Amino acid sequence: MTDIRSGNSAFDLIAASAAAAETRRRRVRIRNFGVGVAGFLVLLLLWKLGVMVFHVQPYILPAPEQVFVALWSGIAVSPASPLGWYLPLWSTMSNALLGFAIGAVLGLLFGSLMAEFRPVETAVMPYAFALQSLPKVAIAPLIVIWCGFGDGSKVAMAALLAFFPMMVNSFAGIRASELERLELMRALSASRLETYYLVKLPSAAPYIFAGLDMGIVYALLGTIVAEFLGAQEGMGVAITKAQAVTDVAGVFAALVVLGATGVLLHLIVRWIERSIVHWADRGKH
Amino acid sequence: MAYTSEAAGQLATAVPTASAKAASARSALIAVEGVVKIYSTVAGEPVLALDRVDLNIRDGEFVCLVGPSGCGKTTLMRLLAGLDRADAGTSSLGGKLLDGPSPEVGVVFQQSNLLPWFTVWQNVTLPLHVGGGKGVGEREAALRDLLDIAGLKGFENKYPYELSGGMQQRVAIVRALARDPKLLLMDEPFGALDALTRERMNAELQRIWMASGKTVVLITHSIDEAIFLGDRVVVMSPRPGRIVRDLVVDVRRPRVAAETFGSPAHVALAREIRTLLDG
Repeated sequence: MTDIRSGNSAFDLIAASAAAAETRRRRVRIRNFGVGVAGFLVLLLLWKLGVMVFHVQPYILPAPEQVFVALWSGIAVSPASPLGWYLPLWSTMSNALLGFAIGAVLGLLFGSLMAEFRPVETAVMPYAFALQSLPKVAIAPLIVIWCGFGDGSKVAMAALLAFFPMMVNSFAGIRASELERLELMRALSASRLETYYLVKLPSAAPYIFAGLDMGIVYALLGTIVAEFLGAQEGMGVAITKAQAVTDVAGVFAALVVLGATGVLLHLIVRWIERSIVHWADRGKH
Repeated sequence: MAYTSEAAGQLATAVPTASAKAASARSALIAVEGVVKIYSTVAGEPVLALDRVDLNIRDGEFVCLVGPSGCGKTTLMRLLAGLDRADAGTSSLGGKLLDGPSPEVGVVFQQSNLLPWFTVWQNVTLPLHVGGGKGVGEREAALRDLLDIAGLKGFENKYPYELSGGMQQRVAIVRALARDPKLLLMDEPFGALDALTRERMNAELQRIWMASGKTVVLITHSIDEAIFLGDRVVVMSPRPGRIVRDLVVDVRRPRVAAETFGSPAHVALAREIRTLLDG
């Protein structure tokens, strides 16, 4: 009887220590969240004090509450209202996501071809590097000339900016495939295509997701830049409109909307990555 | 060094005579004849990795290759796996020349080398899906049996990172047997495991081997492992890699670690191998 009781208490101890560890982790998470919120409030307070103490004019730097009012006035309307954020955000997002999809697919394709075929690498690499070192937003005027002021130039800019991180990352990721795994496929007489999609592509997945993460933010950037150069709708238009009437609070509010969108897109990519590449960094034997 | 290679040369003459070799070659499943392999170092200097290696292995035999690092045992394994080509000499399996990867040869690598993005089942069936494989088909029952024998029943849908190192290596063994090969090549399969797990894995491997009846070539640098598992222990010398002695382990199966280790036969063999390796 004593044995059984002591056995039970050992299990109880293990369970209790696991529960304690979980509580500790939760407490740390709550504390981190608290620190984040506190830091944000301090920042707002400093901003407000700065504006008050130095009598900064609202057309230079609006007070935080003015930005909030501008932000809210765009949120608290019907989604179909031309005054809301919804229509311009939808326009920007749809163009950015379409461009992102095109750029990502092309980037993966080119990166894969370069990694798989040396001649392609030799032929394409110099241009890739030249284009990569070029500030790509400087190409935007050309893109507008070629694709017009409509959605085409926005999609094209988004695709162009999303293309490079995807190409470079998928190239690097495929080249980083482990030799032992490639030898396994060789010992199994696997075809090149089989080796590519069963070993190289999954090996490159962590790199590819890093490329997607960068690419989606760049695609948003590309769309906004193209919108600055001329567009009928979109967040870039909302910003230039507000700027034209020195509605600086409106500009700030638009930036907040764009920033939040960027963070959301990043989180979505990370979430997809975690569910697909769940095996990465775990149990490499 | 001069002394070592001279000693190795003398020992090499102790290997069976040419006529005896020819006789055994006829009944051999695997025949390695006069194989030479030369590597070039990074500096471009040629290194003789294997020097006229002859080896015959009968169907169903368990042969262990032992030797110090750099004796060319991995080179020999890569040649048999079709991952490298010999510079001279031939190897054949069942009379067919081995000059590239063959479905008749299953390979177990040093680390389990499982694909982490696939489940256990996806990993063990991989060989049936690639290289012109027709899918799992009628191999399914045999594979499920093998998983059962290897103590992996119920783990089919787990990912490799959810398994222990020993279990991962057992998955790798089942994968190597997926195509029902004649020859199973194992390159220090348990080198990464701790001593106790390794001993257990040796017993497991003996069981799997006895159940499957495959011919096995296992490379190891553990003398105990070689004697415990092998019907024969082939001792190799360091550069240039040569076979210096081919020893028969005359201990009945199934062998049990607690009985085999420390038995007079084991101790005598271990002493002989150690002397050869120190030579």
